[in-house]
Amino acid sequence: MNVSALTPSELRSRLKEAGIFLQIGAFVIHVKTSIRSVAEGIGLLYADYPLAEDVGFADFHVRLISPGNLRRWFRPQVLFSFDGRIPFKPLPLDQAFPMLEWGMNWCVSGHAHQYLILHAAVMEKQGGSVIMPAPPGAGKSTLCAALVNREWRLLSDELALIDKADNALVPLCRPVSLKNESIHVIRKFEPDAVLGREVRDTMKGTVAHMKPPAESVAQRHVTARPAWIVFPKYQPGAPTRLEPQPKARAFMHMVESAFNYSLLGPQGFQMMANLVDACDCYEFTYSNLDEAVAVFADLKLPAP
Amino acid sequence: MPLNPKWQVADENEFLLRSWDDEFVVYNGATGDTHLLGLVAAQVMLKLQQTPTDAVSLAEWVAPLQQIEPDDEFVLFIEQILTNFDSLGIIEHSRL
Repeated sequence: MNVSALTPSELRSRLKEAGIFLQIGAFVIHVKTSIRSVAEGIGLLYADYPLAEDVGFADFHVRLISPGNLRRWFRPQVLFSFDGRIPFKPLPLDQAFPMLEWGMNWCVSGHAHQYLILHAAVMEKQGGSVIMPAPPGAGKSTLCAALVNREWRLLSDELALIDKADNALVPLCRPVSLKNESIHVIRKFEPDAVLGREVRDTMKGTVAHMKPPAESVAQRHVTARPAWIVFPKYQPGAPTRLEPQPKARAFMHMVESAFNYSLLGPQGFQMMANLVDACDCYEFTYSNLDEAVAVFADLKLPAP
Repeated sequence: MPLNPKWQVADENEFLLRSWDDEFVVYNGATGDTHLLGLVAAQVMLKLQQTPTDAVSLAEWVAPLQQIEPDDEFVLFIEQILTNFDSLGIIEHSRL
């Protein structure tokens, strides 16, 4: 049964009482909360996700809690709880849904060391995947949102998971996090894109999450072959430019984007080297999304 | 210390190395650090893994591989590489 099978009041009730078990690719996440905006966000953006109620197991147990102290009357707050612990400082209650998203990223990036994990978007088309590592503000999520609205499959907007066994990319398909101007850019680029409520004044400015395409969610267990590593850079007014990046330099940039490269030691090095070996590497500068999408459509699969 | 000391790869270091074109990435298992090396630096490191060597001898060994003369300028370049390697804990003075 998918989340969409529940009415809004049923979803709120389940979230409040036992919580729901969301099947998100390789992970089951148990979410419990009585906060209405979180229920609304899940109802809208996770509508196509199956509920794993009968599995009886969750990789991560998270709760969004509105503390019952005096603050609930003025400047109410939200706490993120992970396995009963509170790892972060509270945020304003209005930011509860973004906090769930950020918290889930933290759960995976900080604990799922069965994978090499990079801060990168991953999309797949016709058997080849592009990995896009980038620092904040580089236009990664905007480009990712544009591509998945133009026939690319979303594996992840934030975290590239690389399987230790075969270097395959493991999907972690979740809503795409858009920030500030990129919210308007994507609304204009794809008027049919479904975006959640805009939340203002967060540590990242105004944020809104885009619902992932249903086809991407349906393929949440289908791994993908790495084919390209692209370092995107949004530059206002800049011409669209795709330039080859020497592989050794791409390797070093990838290391900077990795969450657990050091933790994995020699295995992390070998995995990263195999990944770079398998991919064509590029630097990509863009300002026009239509042109950017056209460049990605012309990418040729590297020779095996 | 001798004027032209010999260097060796530090005993505890274990390296993994991959190369693409003329650039190398090297993982040092002892420190967990990863370094990007150019071709000459990689040749110097590989030579020092084989045997303790001084800067002049390294220059004389590497120069033909680069099809250049091992002149004073090249020796200075090799010394700069050795200084960098030393600061990164990759090499140490040899007792031989």
